[in-house]
Amino acid sequence: MTESLNVTVDRRDGLAVIYTEGYINNQGGEEIARVAYKLIDEGFKVLLLNLAGTKIVNSIGISILIEIIEKMIEISGRLGFCCLTPTIEKTFHIMGLAQYAPIFGDEASATSQLKA
Amino acid sequence: MAGSESAGPSQPWGELLALAQDETGERALLERLLGLWCATHGAAAAALYADRRGSVEQVAVVGSGLPVMLDSAALLQAEPGRLRLPGGWLLFSPPGSVRGGGDPLLLLFASALKSARLRHELKEQQFQVNYRVVELEALYDVGLAVAGTLDLNRLSEEILLRAVSLLDARRGALYILEDGRYRQEGTFGGEAGRWFAADDPALAVFLGGGEEAPSDLLPGARYLLGVPILFENSPRGLLAVGDKESRRGVGPFLPGDRRTLGLFANQAAIALENARLHLRALEQERLEREMHVAAEIQRRILPKEALQVPGFQLAGWNRPAREVGGDYFDMFPTRGGRVGLVVGDVSGKGIPAALMVFTLHSALRLLLDQTEFGPPLLERLNRHILESSTPNKFITMLIAEMNPRTSTLRFINAGHNSGFLVRAHRGGNGGNGKVDELPSSGVPLGLLPNGRYQMRETTLDPGDLLCIYSDGITEAESPSEEEFGNDRLTGVLRRHREAPLADVLEAIRQAVGEHTQGRPQGDDQTIVLLRRDPV
Repeated sequence: MTESLNVTVDRRDGLAVIYTEGYINNQGGEEIARVAYKLIDEGFKVLLLNLAGTKIVNSIGISILIEIIEKMIEISGRLGFCCLTPTIEKTFHIMGLAQYAPIFGDEASATSQLKA
Repeated sequence: MAGSESAGPSQPWGELLALAQDETGERALLERLLGLWCATHGAAAAALYADRRGSVEQVAVVGSGLPVMLDSAALLQAEPGRLRLPGGWLLFSPPGSVRGGGDPLLLLFASALKSARLRHELKEQQFQVNYRVVELEALYDVGLAVAGTLDLNRLSEEILLRAVSLLDARRGALYILEDGRYRQEGTFGGEAGRWFAADDPALAVFLGGGEEAPSDLLPGARYLLGVPILFENSPRGLLAVGDKESRRGVGPFLPGDRRTLGLFANQAAIALENARLHLRALEQERLEREMHVAAEIQRRILPKEALQVPGFQLAGWNRPAREVGGDYFDMFPTRGGRVGLVVGDVSGKGIPAALMVFTLHSALRLLLDQTEFGPPLLERLNRHILESSTPNKFITMLIAEMNPRTSTLRFINAGHNSGFLVRAHRGGNGGNGKVDELPSSGVPLGLLPNGRYQMRETTLDPGDLLCIYSDGITEAESPSEEEFGNDRLTGVLRRHREAPLADVLEAIRQAVGEHTQGRPQGDDQTIVLLRRDPV
């Protein structure tokens, strides 16, 4: 199991999907934030974080994700999560992330509902 | 941006009041005020920053070119002009001769910074409260995993990931105690040592709360925390995490982290113990299934019924101490209408002994097709057994060949118990219940590479009863640990020498049972009987 996080992006019409693979900790969270803010600068206002490749997230990573959510709210954009492990989904609910960023079971339903 | 256009002092205060009353409009209000400030002081851009630990964070901005976040050192070298305010900074560009004091807007900014700080602290506290709930949930979930996950590998990974996540660690390792050493079960975030001796003094100090750990425990980690995994006060493993993360990098773990990891390890111990027992039960079930198959195979190689030989009666019986045994018997036709009889006893018990029985059975049957009965047969069999078996494994065997036409019995005893030949009343070999022995005439098979064997011969008179048996009969112990012995066996044979062979077998079993008085059978038991019909 690796501690580093790999991030890839799929830019689509009006929506960008950020795929993560690895640990969302301080370094991983910062990398996601860097990519997300770059996408915002490019004009994307709808972001989907696909965490299918992530099994573990810590409190620092969560606090960075919260900052990204706040940023999206600030620009009147939308952010969603999909493909979370049950443990991470539960954590996001407890930490209040799900209150501001919807969680979807799969990418297809996430993209269709975020774009609607 | 809401406040990017400069608003003059004549801006209606009503709009500002409306923004002040709207909780979500706080940033917009500040940006309006910053706009006013820029207009008053001739600045093109201005931003308000709140002090954070070691850095400042932008709260509101008008204009462009000002950073969102910067650390304290960078702030002092920042190109834009700056004003120190209680709780933060006002940065503006282009830098001019703006001075603090006397400006009511600066008082409003200071108040806004205080409000931002309180809001930030509240958010942090709420975050910490929520994260405590996550910790409790993690403890609860690992408890639930007792019922949900019995796969040791999956459970180990789950425990390790949750421990690393819960402690905000960068890396971790889980070790399971096995055979006096801690074996690495899983690692996260880097390499870790494969195993440590359970009595490693450095490990004991570390698990007792020391900060120094064996160097291989989590190589590369600067800060370590480890706790033992105890089940009913007995060590089952250890859980170690390394390098606690914060927004500024990694540092040592906090005093409360040991308690959290300890609580987590306690829950993990129950889950791991449960999974271990489940694994053991599955393994036991598998072994029992395999043992059952082996026993079935072994039953198939033993004669299903006695060989029919005119003028003679034959019977055989075997009861292994376990499901499979190391005793072997057979009765089979040989060349020239003769009849072969054999009882063998492999050293040891269980599956290893049963495998040797299979080897003996196959080899003997094949060799008998190629070789006449006699010492060369045993010598070849000895070499084969020696090559096929592990060291210290051997087989004692008494093999005999009887010629029904001449009633002669030739036998070779390779280190086996003496067979007993009970003479009939009117026989020509002494009669009246006299017992002749078929003694050992060579070493057990598989013991020496050049084993030599002697063949001996005797004659069966009408009514003579031959008994070949294994030591599970004569060494069966009473509760006072007295062996059944040769005398009791020959006594039963003498008393029942004229009874049907099935009754003789039953008499022996009953006598042994009465002697042992219900003690568990310690060894495999085998008996083969041959009697020449009385005249």
